Amino acid sequence: MKDNNRNWVGKPLPRKEEGRLLRGRGKFADDIKIREMLYLRFVRSPYAHARILKVDTSRAEGLPGVVGTLTGKQIEPLTQPFIEIGPEPCAKIRDFPLAVDKVRYQGEPVAAVLAESPSLADDASELVQVEYEGLDPVVDAEQALKDESILHESAGTNKVWNGVFEYGDVEKAFREAAQIVNIDRLHFHRFSSTPLENNVVIGQWDPKDDHIYYWCNNSFPSFAIQFLAAHLNIPIDRIRVQTFDIGGSFGIKITSYPQMAVCALASKKAGGRPIKWVETRSEHMTASAHGNERTFRDTRVALDQDGVITAITSRHVDDCGAYPRYEPLGCVIWSQVFPGVYRFKNARIDFTQAMTNKCPVGPNRGYSRMQHLWFLERVVDICAHELGIPADQMRLRNYIRPEEFPYTTPNGCVYDSGDYPKMLAIAKNLIGWDEWKKKQAEARKQGRLIGIGIGTTLDSGTNNFGQSQIVNPHAPFSGNSQGANCKLDIYGEVVVAVGSCPQGQGHETTAAQVVADVLNISPDLISVRTGFDTERNVHTGFSGTYASQFAVSGLSAVHGAAQKLKAEMKRLAAFVLETQEDDIEFGRGAQGPELRAQTKGKSINYWGLANIVNVNSAVLPPEMHDITLNCRYIWRAPFKVPDTKKKYGNLTMTYASQLHIAIIEIDRDAFIPRILDYVAVDDCGTVINPAIVEGQVYGATAHGIGAALMETCVYDAVGNMLTSTFSDYTPITAMNMPKVKYGHIETPSPHSYSGAKGMGEGGAAPVHTISAALQDALFSSGIIIGDSFNNADTLFRAMVGREIYQADKLVKLERRA
Amino acid sequence: MYPRAFHYHRAGSLKEAVTMLSQLGEEGKLLAGGQSLIPLMKLRFANPKHLVDLNFVPGISYIKEDKGSLRFGALTRHAEVEYSATAAKIPIIHDCAAGIADVQVRNRGTIGGSIAEADPSGDWATVLSTLDTTIRCLGRKGERTIPLSKFITDAYTTALGPEEIVSEIIVKNPPKGSGGAYLAFKRSAPVYPTASAAVQLRMEGDVCEDAAIALGCVGLTAIKASQAESALRGQKISETTMNAAAEAARAAADPQPDMRGSAEYKRMLVGALVKRAIELAIRRARGEQVEVSHLYA
Repeated sequence: MKDNNRNWVGKPLPRKEEGRLLRGRGKFADDIKIREMLYLRFVRSPYAHARILKVDTSRAEGLPGVVGTLTGKQIEPLTQPFIEIGPEPCAKIRDFPLAVDKVRYQGEPVAAVLAESPSLADDASELVQVEYEGLDPVVDAEQALKDESILHESAGTNKVWNGVFEYGDVEKAFREAAQIVNIDRLHFHRFSSTPLENNVVIGQWDPKDDHIYYWCNNSFPSFAIQFLAAHLNIPIDRIRVQTFDIGGSFGIKITSYPQMAVCALASKKAGGRPIKWVETRSEHMTASAHGNERTFRDTRVALDQDGVITAITSRHVDDCGAYPRYEPLGCVIWSQVFPGVYRFKNARIDFTQAMTNKCPVGPNRGYSRMQHLWFLERVVDICAHELGIPADQMRLRNYIRPEEFPYTTPNGCVYDSGDYPKMLAIAKNLIGWDEWKKKQAEARKQGRLIGIGIGTTLDSGTNNFGQSQIVNPHAPFSGNSQGANCKLDIYGEVVVAVGSCPQGQGHETTAAQVVADVLNISPDLISVRTGFDTERNVHTGFSGTYASQFAVSGLSAVHGAAQKLKAEMKRLAAFVLETQEDDIEFGRGAQGPELRAQTKGKSINYWGLANIVNVNSAVLPPEMHDITLNCRYIWRAPFKVPDTKKKYGNLTMTYASQLHIAIIEIDRDAFIPRILDYVAVDDCGTVINPAIVEGQVYGATAHGIGAALMETCVYDAVGNMLTSTFSDYTPITAMNMPKVKYGHIETPSPHSYSGAKGMGEGGAAPVHTISAALQDALFSSGIIIGDSFNNADTLFRAMVGREIYQADKLVKLERRA
Repeated sequence: MYPRAFHYHRAGSLKEAVTMLSQLGEEGKLLAGGQSLIPLMKLRFANPKHLVDLNFVPGISYIKEDKGSLRFGALTRHAEVEYSATAAKIPIIHDCAAGIADVQVRNRGTIGGSIAEADPSGDWATVLSTLDTTIRCLGRKGERTIPLSKFITDAYTTALGPEEIVSEIIVKNPPKGSGGAYLAFKRSAPVYPTASAAVQLRMEGDVCEDAAIALGCVGLTAIKASQAESALRGQKISETTMNAAAEAARAAADPQPDMRGSAEYKRMLVGALVKRAIELAIRRARGEQVEVSHLYA
C-alpha cells in the first residue's frame, strides 16, 4: 500500500485551519446557542471527604428564573452506576455523576441548578444548602493503602489494582551484579493540562424522538457514549455527539462524560430543553481531571562492571484520586514503555494503584508512560552519578542499539524503529556539548552551579486496547481501529470525514495532504470535515483524538478510504472513456482535476464522474452499480490479545522518540533555576507535515518545562486544593520559555503504511531532562533529584535546609568485589 | 462565574464620585481599572451592591512634571506610565510599571487603584515608599495630602475616609546622584511576586549618601528596611556592605508561607533581591542606562 507519489505528504504546508482559528472565526462549543437553552451550574463540595446529610434545594428553586435542580439522590434510581473498567473489588464502586451519599474530593458535584441565564444559575447555586458530616480525608496514596479511612464502602478498600510485572531472571542478575544501586523513594508529582478552552457541554434529551444530542468538546466521544448509554439506559445509537473546534484537550477532556450525563438528565427533567454547562477555570482546576501521581519505592538496580544495567526491581504506587473512571488502565499503559529506551532484560515492578480524596485523574499528555519514563531516567542518572560515569556515556552503554530494531522488549512490545545514539549526537552538536562542559567546569571554579541534563523518552502511539485485559481479564476490549470516509459529492467535490476530533493538531491539513497524493490533486481542492459527529458514521469504538495516533490510525483510515475512492473512480472512468483501467491517469485539465485515457486522448472531470453515479445513473450498467464514490474504510491495527497471565504482548504500534538536553544554572542567592540553553530532537518516523510536527514539539516542550518547574496540583493535609486558580497553579507562559533549538531525524516505522509514527504527547521529555540537569548541577553537593517538580523553593530546601534530596539518605551503592 | 448582581453608577467627576460614595455608604465600591476588583467579583469573593465607575471621569489620567515633582493622575494606567518618557526620568518607576502582571492588565490597571487597594503584594506601594511620595485625596470636606508612609496603615487598609478618593500621586524628583531599581521574582508574569525589593540610593563617588530600601510581599504592607538602609548610608559600597544590607533586609522581612514559597525561602530571596537591586541602583546613580527586568521562573 506504499504510495510513491509524494507531492504533498512531507511538505510544511500551512494549516488549512489557520485562517479560521487565527482570525477568531473558529466555532467552539460555547459559541453554539440553541433556542430554549438553559444554563447549568454545579453545587460542589467544599470538603474532601464527608457524608451528605441533607441537600435542600428549595431556596434555589424559589429564585425567579430557576427552572429546576437535580441531586444525586434523584438521579440514582434513574441510572446505572458508571462502568468500572477494573476488576473486583473496584468493580463494586458506585460512581454517579452527582454525589449520592458521600463526597470524596473537594469540588465533587453534589447538585445542579438550571436557570434561564448563566448568572442566575450562579446565584441559585449559592442558595442550595448542603449539610455534611466530615469524614477523615486521605490525600496520600501510601497512607490510603492502609485502608484506615475508606472512600468507597462498597469496594471495602482503597486499593484499585495490584499486579507484578516480572520478566527475565531477576534473582540471577542481582547475584551476578558487579554493583547495586538502591534508591529509597522517588516521586512523580500531580499536574494537569490547562487547555485554553475549559470543558463545555450542551446536552438535550429530546422527548420528541427520545434521542440525546450533545454539542460538546469531549475528546474521545466514542468512549464517552459507551459509558453514557450504559449509565442512562438508552440504546447507544440514540446518542448523537458532535464536536467542533476544540481549544486543546491533552487528554483531560476524555473524562467529561459525568458532566455530559448530568446535562442529559437535567434536560429530561426540564422537558427536553437543551442544557449548557460551561466550566469555569477554578472548576477545571479542582474537579475536571488531573494527571496521575506516582511514588517509586525501594528501587534496586543491578549493574555490571561497566555501568550496564542488568536488572531493576521496584514498587510503584499510583494515585488515581477519588474515582477510577479511565483507571485502572494506567496500571498497564506504562508498560508500553516497560524498559524505556534501554536494553535491560530482567525486571520486576510491583504496581499498585490507590484512591485518595483528590480530584479523579484522567489521561494527561504522556499518560502513565511519562511517570515510568521519568523513573527510568532518574534511575539512569542516579546510577551514572553514583558510579562516576558521564550521563551521555551511561546512556550510550544502555540504549537499545539502532541495529536491534524492530526490538522486542522483555514484556513483548515491539519497538518499530529508532536511533537513540544518533539523536544524542545531534542534540549534543546543536547545544555545543563540549563547550558547555568546559563552561560548566569554569563556572564550578567560580562557585557557580551549572547542570547539563539529558532526557531520552518515548511517545508510544496507537495502543492495543487488549492491554485492558491485563488489568481485567473480563474487559471486552482489544485492538485499535479508526474510520474514515472519502467521497466525490454531486458536483465533484472531494470530501473527507474522519472519526477524530482535533484540538489543534492540524488534522484537516494532514488528511488533505494524504488524499491529495492519492488523487494527485491539490489539498486546496479537498474539504475535510472538522470535528466529530456520530451521525457521520465514520467512527469506531476507539475514535477520538488521544494517545498520539492520528498519523497512524487516522491517516491510515483516510488513506484506505481515498484508495477505495480512487479505485472506483478509475473503474468508472475506464467504462466511460471506453478504455482499460491501467490506461487511466489522474491529472489536471482545463476544468480542474480529471481522469484521462492516455491512449484515447479523452478525459472526464470529477463532476462528470459524480454526476453519473449520483444523478445520471441510468447510463450505468448493472455491474457498475456497486460504485458509490462514497467510500467508507475502517482501518484496524494488526494486534493480538496479550497473554494476560504473563502480561506479555505487543501493546503499541509505533514508538516516536524524543531526546532533549537542557543547560540549567541555579544561582546561589535566589535559587532560581534558569534554563541557559535547550535542545529538542524528535523522531516520529516519516513526517507528514514538518511545520505541524515542529509546532507540536514546541507545545509539548513548553508543557513539560511548565510541569518540571512551575505547575503542580497541591493539596493540604485535609484535601483542600491550594492551586485552584492560575495565580496559584501558574501555567507556563511565553515569558517563561527559553529559546528551544529543534532538530529531528526520521526512522520510518515499518508498522505504519506511511512510515509515520504517532506523536504530539512528547513523553514529557523536559520533565526528565530538567530533573537530570538539576541533579547534574547539584550532585557534587550531595543532592539527588527525587521529585519531578522542582522550583526555587524546592532547591533552597535541598541546598540550604538540607530537608530533602540528600543523596546519603536516599541512595546506597553496593560494590561487589 | 458571573459576579452577583450590582448597581452600576457612572461618575462624571471625582466630586460626583465622592457624592455617590457618601450616598451609597458601605455598599458602594469604586471601580478604577478593575485589576483586582473584577476577578474578586467573578470569584464572588467580593460582592459589592453598587459600583461607582471612575473610568469616564475626564482629566484624571496624566503624568506631569511640575516644580521638581512628577504628578500622576489617579486613573493613569500602568501601561501609560510604562511608555511615558516623563516617568522614565525616575527609572525605578518605569521598572515598576513595566513589570506589573501582563500587557492586558497593565492596559487596565491604575496607579491610584493600586495604592488605594493597599494589597500587600502590590508593586506600587513598595516602589513609591523609597521615594518622597504623597497621596492627594478628595473627600466631602475637600482635599488633603497624606505622605505615603502614613497613607497605607495595614494590609488592604489606608488612611482614606469612607467617602474619600485618591486623586493624585505626587513623587518628588530624587536629588542629583540618585539611582534606583525595583526587582521582583515572579513565578509567571500575571501573578504577584514571591518577593520584591525596591532600592533608591544617592551616591557620591563610591560612597552612599542616602538610601531607601523597601521590601514587597513579605509582610502586611511594604516594609521599609531601615536597618538595611543604615548599613549603606554613609558607607563606601562594597561586597561587605551590600551583604550587610541584604542580611538586615532578611531580618526585617516577615513573610508568610503560601503557594509562592515557604517563609524561609522568601526571607532568603528578598535579601538576594535587595543585593541585586543595590548593584543596579549604583550603576544607574552613575548615569548608566540599565534595563531592568524582573526574574521569572
